[in-house]
Amino acid sequence: MVDRREAGLLLLTALTVVAAAATLVAPYALAAVADSVRAGELDWPSLGLLLAAGAVQILASGAAALLAAGVTARLTARLRRGLTRQLCGFGTASPPGIGAARRGFSADCATAGTRPALLAALVSAVLVSSGSVVLLAILDWRLVAAFVLGVSFAVPLAAHARHNLDVTDADGVDGADLGEHRPASELSALLRQAVAGLRTIADSGITEHEARRVLRPLPLMHAAGADGWRTAARATWPARLAVPFTCFAVLCAAGFGVAVGRLTVGELLAACCYAALGLSVVTRIGLVGELARARASAGRVAELCAAPAPRAGTAKLPPGNGTIVLRGVSVGTTLREVDLTVRAGSAVAVVGRSAVGTEALAAVLGGLRPVDAGEVLLDGIPMAELAPAQLRSAVSYAPARPRLVGTSFADAIGYGSWAGSRAVGRACAAAGVGGLVARLPYGHHTSLRYLSLSEEETRRLGLARAIVRGPRVLIAERAHGADDLAFRSLRGKTRVVVTDSMTTAESADTVVWLAHGRVRAVAKHEDLLAQPAYRAVFAQGGPP
Amino acid sequence: MRLYLRTIGEQWRALLVLLACSVIEAVPAFATGWLVERAVSDGFQRGGIAFGIGALGVLLALFVVGALGSLLVFSRLGSVVEPLRDVLAGAVVRGVLGMRALPRSRIGESDVPGILRRIEDVRQATGLLLGRVRGLVVTAIAAMAGLFVFAWQLALIAVVPVLLSAAIVALSMPTLLTRQRDLALAHERAERSAADVFAGMRDVVSCGAEATAAASVCADVDRQERAALAVARVAWVRTVAVGFGVLVPFLGIGFVAPGMVAAGQLTPGAAFGVLCYLALGIVPAFGGLATTSGTAGKLFTALHGLGGGGRPDPLPAGSVAPAHTGLSLRGVTFRWGPEAEPVVDGLSLDLVPGDRLTVVGETGLGKSTFAALLMGQLEPERGRVLLGGEPVSRIAPAERHGIVGYLPSEPYLFAGSVRENLAVFSMCSRFARVPDGRLLASIAAVGADEVVERLGGLSGEIGHRNRGLSAADAQLLALARLYASSAKVVVLDEATSHLSAEAEARVERAFAGRGGILVVMASRQAPFPWQGRVLVLGVPGHARPQAAEIRTQDAEIGTQDAEIGTQDGEIRAQDGEIRARDGEIRAQDAEIRARGVEDRRDTAEPEFEHAIPRQARGGEEPRSGSTGRERINGADVPLGKQP
Repeated sequence: MVDRREAGLLLLTALTVVAAAATLVAPYALAAVADSVRAGELDWPSLGLLLAAGAVQILASGAAALLAAGVTARLTARLRRGLTRQLCGFGTASPPGIGAARRGFSADCATAGTRPALLAALVSAVLVSSGSVVLLAILDWRLVAAFVLGVSFAVPLAAHARHNLDVTDADGVDGADLGEHRPASELSALLRQAVAGLRTIADSGITEHEARRVLRPLPLMHAAGADGWRTAARATWPARLAVPFTCFAVLCAAGFGVAVGRLTVGELLAACCYAALGLSVVTRIGLVGELARARASAGRVAELCAAPAPRAGTAKLPPGNGTIVLRGVSVGTTLREVDLTVRAGSAVAVVGRSAVGTEALAAVLGGLRPVDAGEVLLDGIPMAELAPAQLRSAVSYAPARPRLVGTSFADAIGYGSWAGSRAVGRACAAAGVGGLVARLPYGHHTSLRYLSLSEEETRRLGLARAIVRGPRVLIAERAHGADDLAFRSLRGKTRVVVTDSMTTAESADTVVWLAHGRVRAVAKHEDLLAQPAYRAVFAQGGPP
Repeated sequence: MRLYLRTIGEQWRALLVLLACSVIEAVPAFATGWLVERAVSDGFQRGGIAFGIGALGVLLALFVVGALGSLLVFSRLGSVVEPLRDVLAGAVVRGVLGMRALPRSRIGESDVPGILRRIEDVRQATGLLLGRVRGLVVTAIAAMAGLFVFAWQLALIAVVPVLLSAAIVALSMPTLLTRQRDLALAHERAERSAADVFAGMRDVVSCGAEATAAASVCADVDRQERAALAVARVAWVRTVAVGFGVLVPFLGIGFVAPGMVAAGQLTPGAAFGVLCYLALGIVPAFGGLATTSGTAGKLFTALHGLGGGGRPDPLPAGSVAPAHTGLSLRGVTFRWGPEAEPVVDGLSLDLVPGDRLTVVGETGLGKSTFAALLMGQLEPERGRVLLGGEPVSRIAPAERHGIVGYLPSEPYLFAGSVRENLAVFSMCSRFARVPDGRLLASIAAVGADEVVERLGGLSGEIGHRNRGLSAADAQLLALARLYASSAKVVVLDEATSHLSAEAEARVERAFAGRGGILVVMASRQAPFPWQGRVLVLGVPGHARPQAAEIRTQDAEIGTQDAEIGTQDGEIRAQDGEIRARDGEIRAQDAEIRARGVEDRRDTAEPEFEHAIPRQARGGEEPRSGSTGRERINGADVPLGKQP
């Protein structure tokens, strides 16, 4: 049983070979036709052969190209899907970094996907080249000698051009700085800055002034660009002589052959065609490098996909009201042997001087961060053993700087849940973005790209996204302003808010005071207020 | 696209030079068949080896000349392509910066690399088209011309199929271009959605939405795959058409020529020469063209992308000069879409020099939209915004920019000296360059002296992305800039949000003492009496209030008056102390203002304007002064929402 992918590759190989064979037969048929024309006699068999060879060549190479494009597209898509699933499966466990992931997705998968097509092209070039030389030898071995002579001239020309181009390419990278790229990145930086201030520019009518300022690097880019064209021209023109030189040598040798009667005139024409075809490996030598790059890319993609996905728990969550118990939990040096019970339905404020410590505690409570020691129990079951879907439906997390994923506002808020538009509307109102959403042209069906959101609005939308799931527990990261909204919403559920605002701490049922990675106190705000060290926590943390 | 063609057209001199060089490039293709035929017929076949080699040598020399011609062409490409880039970049940058960015820009910083990449794509694709593709076309044409001159009897058989295939290629062009564009769009979309998911992985995980995320990215990848296949199918049609277009002439000549040679209508040499032209000139040229078919698509896609991304919304440019600098709103209604809640509904309001309006509303309720209405950047759905008695959008832009000054919460500073940054509002207006003294005075007035000193005075440099400046520093500099400008109507849109309470008070004092109209937007500011009138936008906490709800809520606010602050009093309670302190400062300030500026209201009690009208509220008597009248005017505007 051969699967579809292997069948495609086999077919591609077969078509490539057939096309190469037809390419090689065509000049031979052409020679016969040329001779028949000169003789003034209609030669049906040669014409038929030419038609057959030509048609097979066109159709087979066309089909091979179509198939190669299909194989490339499918392979690229397959790699991308695999990579996406892999990274999504990983979640936050051990991400390879956003940069690496993006590069892997956009560049490496695409390059790796071209591998079969490149291989086919290289095979075709090698077959055609070697076949041409063999056929030249069959016509007359002296032609091969002439071909070798011509190639020994032509190859250095082509190599010279490549070398020069490589040099200019290399210049392009570090010497970017002399020429093309520095003014370009300057322009980019200036334009980015201006776009950030677009509102000011539009409202104060300084468009022309600002445009001139942004365009200041343009003359430099102009000069560098003109220079670049000249360099490229000087580097590449000798390569254009490779084919004429070789053909000249072969034609001269074939001319001798015609003169002494070894070859017909038609065979002279065929010899010239074979000489040009024989060079195809030289002119397409770049394929080797491309293939190496594709292989390296495939290696990188495989590396990204190789790591085994983390083991997910399978336990089901019993009914409960969202009690979280921490027993001797340690995370590196940021949390040390934390014992804590978050009672069901309570509003808990987490305060502490260290942002790292409080954030780590929030992440642990939200089940987003594995612990190094100890255990975290949600309604009596260790979080690590819970099935992910069970855990996420019970615990919602509102980050300080959420990234909204999805197309529309409704999509982003109900992301990954079954929330309907009424639930989304209620969640928006609870998170204090009801007014914003109601003023959008299509309500919460408005595309997220329609307008740029401020940090505060994004945070509130993140809170709405946490609320809409109707969880047992809501964890909110440190936020300035929206945090008491988290307490005001989801009454009756467990709510844990990291905060540096006294007002929020005041409205909490319990305050968890973290200091140096340990829980210093769990008490009511009023009771703690007598301690100067506690007040100092708030004195220091203000808006940055 | 039109700009592109026009710019190319403007480079006609350079194009003519390219054409002249093309002729040199075309010489070898033109002579190939003829010289090879001569070498064979008059040389090798008759034993004249020296003549044959000589003829081939001439051909080789012509190829060297042709290569030199291509050298000339390629080194001159810059003279066409670079001016094109200049013009395109200029147009795109002006288009982007002239865009109506309201109330929040749809074009962001993250779009800039894409825009610049497209310009670069246009440049490179144009270079390829004018360089390599043009060279191949020239070669093909020269070979066909040579064929025509050499053996016109066979030319028709040779040329017609080639032209037919060229026609098929041309006809399939639009399909290819749109499919290539679709592919590019699908590609961008897939990359964007993957980047979104990868960057937001923590959020995805916390939503338990790993499967959803993977599925959405995979759907985009599938779309991209289908688009790639669609492009490959068109390319296949073209390749086959070209292949047969080149094959058929060989067959035709092989079929027709023997008879003509036998009949003596054609010399054997001529027939052979035609085959040489075909095999050595036209076949390689068409083969080369097949490999460059993507270039036009790249160019089209890039130009299309630029057309969509960088087109400026034409601002209605008026030409009227306002008689005075008073600002009036008459029954102004605005909403972002027919289904959306209005930002303001039937609002009427008068502001004369010396007036101050505080606009209060939670984030996202349309403070910036309201500012844009005041400045004529947005047209109200109903009603009019009058500046000096004229509709603000009909006022000449230069006049308007000279009169109205606006400052958003994220101020725009650019890399350059402090002086350049502070004087920028005055450089383009009809007013003369701002003297240093005035800049220094405004710096002192808003309390930015310390920041400016740290930067090294007026000549100090501000780096890219405000390097070394805190958000508060940047706001202070922008405030100084606005203070120094000629603006008679100043709109501060949360422009002091990063400042400390003391610094904020100082800024407010400075602007209050500056004269003219002052409009201050704030998300949660207690409307103290000295803040002039207060306009409350929307009703916080209500997503879609019914008319009745607005009324009750409004009535509440109306009776509570100055206590409106309690709505978010919890937040404010903690800095109550600070407020109390700067309350003293403000109280003094109010005195100063009362003396200095003509004031129509003697009462210290603030007036409340409501963005959503309350005219349906029976028995509510109009407020004091002119504003009351305007509200009645506003009531004349029919309101669909009212019972």
